[in-house]
Amino acid sequence: MFINWALQEINLKIVYYGPGMSGKTTNLEYVHSKLDPSLTGELVSLKTKEDRTIFFDFMQIEVGKIKGKKPKFNLYTVPGQVYYASSRKVILNGVDGIVFVADSQPHRMEANIETLLDLENNLKQDGHSLETFPWVVQYNKRDLPGVDSIETLQKKLNFFGVPYFEGVAVRGDGVFNTLKAIINNVVQNVQNQL
Amino acid sequence: MVQTKKLKDGSRQIILNGKQYEGVTKVLSELASKTKASAILFADMSGQLISQRGNTDEMNTTVLSALAASDFAATAEMAKLVGEEAKFKLLFHEGEKRNVYLSNVGDYFFLVVVFDVNVTLGLIRIYTKKAIQNLQEILEEEQEEIKDKDIIDSDFSSLLGDALDETFK
Repeated sequence: MFINWALQEINLKIVYYGPGMSGKTTNLEYVHSKLDPSLTGELVSLKTKEDRTIFFDFMQIEVGKIKGKKPKFNLYTVPGQVYYASSRKVILNGVDGIVFVADSQPHRMEANIETLLDLENNLKQDGHSLETFPWVVQYNKRDLPGVDSIETLQKKLNFFGVPYFEGVAVRGDGVFNTLKAIINNVVQNVQNQL
Repeated sequence: MVQTKKLKDGSRQIILNGKQYEGVTKVLSELASKTKASAILFADMSGQLISQRGNTDEMNTTVLSALAASDFAATAEMAKLVGEEAKFKLLFHEGEKRNVYLSNVGDYFFLVVVFDVNVTLGLIRIYTKKAIQNLQEILEEEQEEIKDKDIIDSDFSSLLGDALDETFK
């Protein structure tokens, strides 16, 4: 969190984390397509020719002034492919809250778990831990046939009982609820310090 | 000193107060007039733009800051991989019309200087080095602490919740 007291700006960094093709970029694209252009900046995507995120996606959103303060939310995604492990670590620098976008399909469970462990490992190197850090889970692709039940996903992935959401990011289902939850979670955390 | 704090959840809070912001902006203005740089940005290592000077109207400086921060973080990882123990202090991108010079300011901030190729790099280096010293002095001065309750008070989160509902409807 970076606070510019002169301008009364509160900047938060939210990172969408998850395995490859789980829908992280799609979440950001939906938010970008639906928000009033006056509240959102450009969506920048660093992609390969094949449309896979190579470094990150970025966009900033605002919600106007609240009690004279101007919160700004900087949303980032990480590249999901295993190959880009060190890029993921780099994006986490200065992170305030994380959305873990899990793929609900059974054959992606292993990738979900692997990425979650990778996240925990990266957070640890910065002195954080999933046990205390603000994060939420989105179980994405709920519209696909044969997806794992929420019970199964919860049991295997949400071992700290953080807020979870069902998503169909391509249609926008669950996208805003997820984002709202992580923002509230981060702000609540700061309030709890008082 | 810049007010930094580790919150209970492990995340980092950095606060720049009014006096520091004014000081930083003044240094950037001086640097801009001395070097004739097209644009100068001061941002924090997580990619948040703090202050800018020069001709930035045509430039998306929010995105530029985010990209520059990642550039820094990526080269820090590269430094480790090639056996460099400290971080690389500066990055330089050379173009046909414009060059970009990036340098860290302490551990938490960095400076981006965008300039036309007809401006000599030596000039940029000398003035940027001086500006960084000035910035560090400003950031290291003793400051009055800003209290948490003045930043986010008890009804902030519910008001924010309403604002988010309104924005995301």
